[in-house]
Amino acid sequence: MSAEFFIIFQSTHDVIKAKKALQKAYIAHEIIPTPKKVSAECGMSLKIEKTVLDQALEILRLKGVLFRIDLL
Amino acid sequence: MIYFDNAATSFPKPKVVMAAMENYFFNIGGNTGRSGHKMAIEASELVFDTREYLAELFNIKDSARMVFTKNVTESLNLAINGFLKKGDQVITTSMEHNSVMRPLRYLEQIGKIKIFIVQANQEGIVDPVAFEDILRKEKIKLIVLSHASNVTGTVAPISAIAQIAKNYGSHTLIDAAQTAGAYPVDVTADGLDMLAFTGHKALMGPQGTGGLYIREGIEIEPLMRGGTGSNSEREIQPELMPDQLESGTLNIIGIAGLGAGVKYVLEHGVMKIRQIEMDLTEIFIRNAAKIAGVRLYGPQDINKRVSVVSLNIFGYDPSEVAYTLDRDYDIACRPGLHCAPSAHKTIGAFPQGTIRFAFGPFNNIEEINISLKALNQISKRKE
Ligand SMILES: Cc1ncc(COP(=O)(O)O)c(C=O)c1O
Repeated sequence: MSAEFFIIFQSTHDVIKAKKALQKAYIAHEIIPTPKKVSAECGMSLKIEKTVLDQALEILRLKGVLFRIDLL
Repeated sequence: MIYFDNAATSFPKPKVVMAAMENYFFNIGGNTGRSGHKMAIEASELVFDTREYLAELFNIKDSARMVFTKNVTESLNLAINGFLKKGDQVITTSMEHNSVMRPLRYLEQIGKIKIFIVQANQEGIVDPVAFEDILRKEKIKLIVLSHASNVTGTVAPISAIAQIAKNYGSHTLIDAAQTAGAYPVDVTADGLDMLAFTGHKALMGPQGTGGLYIREGIEIEPLMRGGTGSNSEREIQPELMPDQLESGTLNIIGIAGLGAGVKYVLEHGVMKIRQIEMDLTEIFIRNAAKIAGVRLYGPQDINKRVSVVSLNIFGYDPSEVAYTLDRDYDIACRPGLHCAPSAHKTIGAFPQGTIRFAFGPFNNIEEINISLKALNQISKRKE
């Protein structure tokens, strides 16, 4: 099983900004309600697979999205 | 009916505005941020998109610096109350709408701030030098002024004023109620610190929408605190934009309509819309000036104004003219003081006020001709 990472944001604005950026780059991702044991900063998080993580983070940094990552 | 009251609110709106609102109402639903399901995500995306369209229109680098409000009045109150501290000094002008004047006068009344007024000339034009004269002598925290007057349509030189403000370590708050969507506004090139706008005029959105842009590096206190869908574990208001200043459920259906309106403006281009409006304005002014007894207010130079025109007919109360235009000619315009008593004093039309015509991109030359004929006939009745 490949590890799944959660990208956690402080605001909904950043979640959507991230979603749109990843969509545009054809990087698979899923928006899910933030798991309680991860954090409750924003109600939504992005779930992403390890194989595309580095690529995704690169894009988000370029876009100036505020986030942090967590492994479940 | 001929609608010439676009400075009060624009009519008609493009059909896409209602279509976007209907789409939200019937197909999207959902609240932003609060939940993670598809309907909530779609609503959040819709709000995000409107923010991005507005950022594009005003050349805002980071759309998170733009918060939604219910109108420019709320935006101005948020900026004025959230930015000014006790002992601060403020410059404003004699052309301001009460949505600037009243929040400022209130803070003055309770002893929180001191106000300096830059007097405009009879055409409603303010001179940047007059701002510098005050800045040289006084420590000024904020300069607040409208980009264009809602009485005379006079456009203020905000870029020059913002530059001077910067030179003296001061800040600018611009009321773009009459320019957003109708005249170029570029917060980056103009060097603005804060921009307040309303959604229901030239941005073509529904009533109950507006916003405030706050440059990065400027912090303001929220008007309200409450739920934001973020940082829910904390009982303290988050400091992150836009959540910090957007407590409570947004007017999502209105924001959907506003997004479609702004998209419409972007697709047609502000300068194209301005061209249509100013062609009509030019013909109206040129011919109204020929009618005996008509007095026009505002700048002669069409480049120094937006499509708002105030006039009076000798011997008439403005409300009498507006009533006649409405009753006998089906022409809608607005008489009186237009919530801007100080502006009317400046142009010499206080306390009776003026009759205001405000043209939009959906008006046409026939309507202008009908109104000119009507004014001509009305002016003759009292000869
Ligand atoms: C210059 C100006 N400022 C403020 C306002 C207030 O707008 P709103 O009623 O949308 O808050 C208006 C229009 O009424 C206006 O023309």
